[in-house]
Amino acid sequence: MTNMNEVASQPGFGTSPHAATADLDQAAPKMVARDVNFHYNDFHALKHISMDVPEKKVTAIIGPSGCGKSTLLRIFNRIYAIYPGLRASGEIILDGENILDPKYSLNRLRSKVGMVFQKPVPFPMTIFENVAYGIRHHEKLSRSEMESRVEQALRGAALWDEVKDKLKNSALGLSGGQQQRLCIARGIALKPEVLLLDEPTSALDPIATSRIEQLVEELKKDFTIVIVTHNMQQAARVSDMTAFMYMGELIEFDRTEKIFTKPDKKQTEDYITGRFG
Amino acid sequence: MHATVSTAVPSAERASEAARNAKDSRDDRLFGWVLKGCALLVLLALVGAAGSTLWLGMDAFHTFGFGFLTSAAWDPSNDQYGALVPIMGTVGTAFIALLFAVPVSFGIALFLTEIAPQWLRGPVSSAIELLAGIPSIIYGMWGLFIFAPFVAEHVKPWLMNNFSADPPDGQVSWIVQHVPWIAKFFASEYPFFGAGVFTAGLVLAVMIIPFISSVMREVFQTVPTRLKESAYALGSSTWEVVWDIVVPYTRTAVIGGIFLGLGRALGETMAVAFVLGNTFKFSWSLLETGSSIASTIANQFGEAQGLQRSALMALAFLLFVVTFIVLLIARLMLRRLATKEGK
Repeated sequence: MTNMNEVASQPGFGTSPHAATADLDQAAPKMVARDVNFHYNDFHALKHISMDVPEKKVTAIIGPSGCGKSTLLRIFNRIYAIYPGLRASGEIILDGENILDPKYSLNRLRSKVGMVFQKPVPFPMTIFENVAYGIRHHEKLSRSEMESRVEQALRGAALWDEVKDKLKNSALGLSGGQQQRLCIARGIALKPEVLLLDEPTSALDPIATSRIEQLVEELKKDFTIVIVTHNMQQAARVSDMTAFMYMGELIEFDRTEKIFTKPDKKQTEDYITGRFG
Repeated sequence: MHATVSTAVPSAERASEAARNAKDSRDDRLFGWVLKGCALLVLLALVGAAGSTLWLGMDAFHTFGFGFLTSAAWDPSNDQYGALVPIMGTVGTAFIALLFAVPVSFGIALFLTEIAPQWLRGPVSSAIELLAGIPSIIYGMWGLFIFAPFVAEHVKPWLMNNFSADPPDGQVSWIVQHVPWIAKFFASEYPFFGAGVFTAGLVLAVMIIPFISSVMREVFQTVPTRLKESAYALGSSTWEVVWDIVVPYTRTAVIGGIFLGLGRALGETMAVAFVLGNTFKFSWSLLETGSSIASTIANQFGEAQGLQRSALMALAFLLFVVTFIVLLIARLMLRRLATKEGK
């Protein structure tokens, strides 16, 4: 595992002359995981994970089912904390503060780190309320301020034009792809700094999937994005950095292009080429 | 032309096929009738029970007219009967029962689904189910011998000190002086007597808590985890997740569970017969004794003759009506909620 830390901490890791290389190397780490371990009761689910998530880039986490990629994502906003028996140790530094510190306010963490889940989960409320709901937990806004925030979030999620005339309708009436974009709108409405996407397109058809991927491309201008995906092509298409995980360990973490063309590790290569997983 | 298609098939095979077809559709029809019969049986039983109580209660309705509903007189020695006290007793005890049972059940169900550690969930759930299995006569006995004296000694004095115009400690409280009417609900002719509407309501509350809380627990479990996680991910606290997500998502079923409990409270007989006091003097006070429809029927049916018997039948019919009205209100409430949500 130590070699991973080396890879991640080496300046200018990767040698291939890629257009974005310089840009990527300069990107400051937004979130830094240091020796993160995760236990589910007695099961050691994540082992000594260390990685730097670069700011305003898309970082993909790939790996076979059960490798711990979603678990890792769920530590980044401490959503695991709602269940008993789950423990994370180590450090995750966000803007200089360790978010795993129990003293770090969950409310503040979740306003800084938004999350979108596998299946679209609109709340049983109107479209407007779905977006306004989260904002209300963090800010007190006047009616007109709230309306413009909701519009801004829906525009940001490329959904505004489709729903602007039916904001008062139930969100459950939207299509799957629209619902997922609504969930993204709900997440970005809080103006987070990091956006976690947990297999956001696994329940969507190909057209809706490509719209979400385009959206991710747009969103990285404003947000640091971490996306878990079981779809390797998707990781290759949308991400700047890719982490490959296997059996709770971070096997390799590097520029996406390098991971998909000449990975350092045999295991990574086997997975990429479809020999297992 | 048409015949040429089928000539290849031997006619014997055709015939058995047709017979099989006819048998299948006959069996299906029969099956359908049996099922329809089962469903109709319920309807028949309902209409039969309501109709026969109405028919046998006609005598009382004819004799007293509309006054049967508004008269507080229940005097078998003078053959004077009015349903006001039993109706008030039934509705009053059920209302008090809901007042206490709903919040407690809500708390139990939420604790079991959202907060309790896994190992505690099973035992507590079983305990609640056991509570539901206790026969009502045991609740009645417990209510009369243990709970009513407790109420008389500890609860009633406190209530009277704070809310009645004639408190045991002699100081009329600020609330009584400033809130009109309130003293009316907390007057008591015999302050040392524990039985009464309030006590019966509390015993009923204990009895219906298992029903309401197990329905609530079941439906709270149906809320998708990902829905709750999404709300947590937006920074909601447990309370906010419950109030904004779990409750709206399960509202219809929760109200259904509450009305299941209410239906049981309205019809409960033995427990109420023990702790309600079985008196027929009209009073607004919750601390006074009274009667309920079911307890009156249970207490008096054995020796009832003629008009008294008819009056009891009429009471039974009124219980149908009360229950029906309650269910109707529930339906209307749900419909109004649905239109408010824009569905």
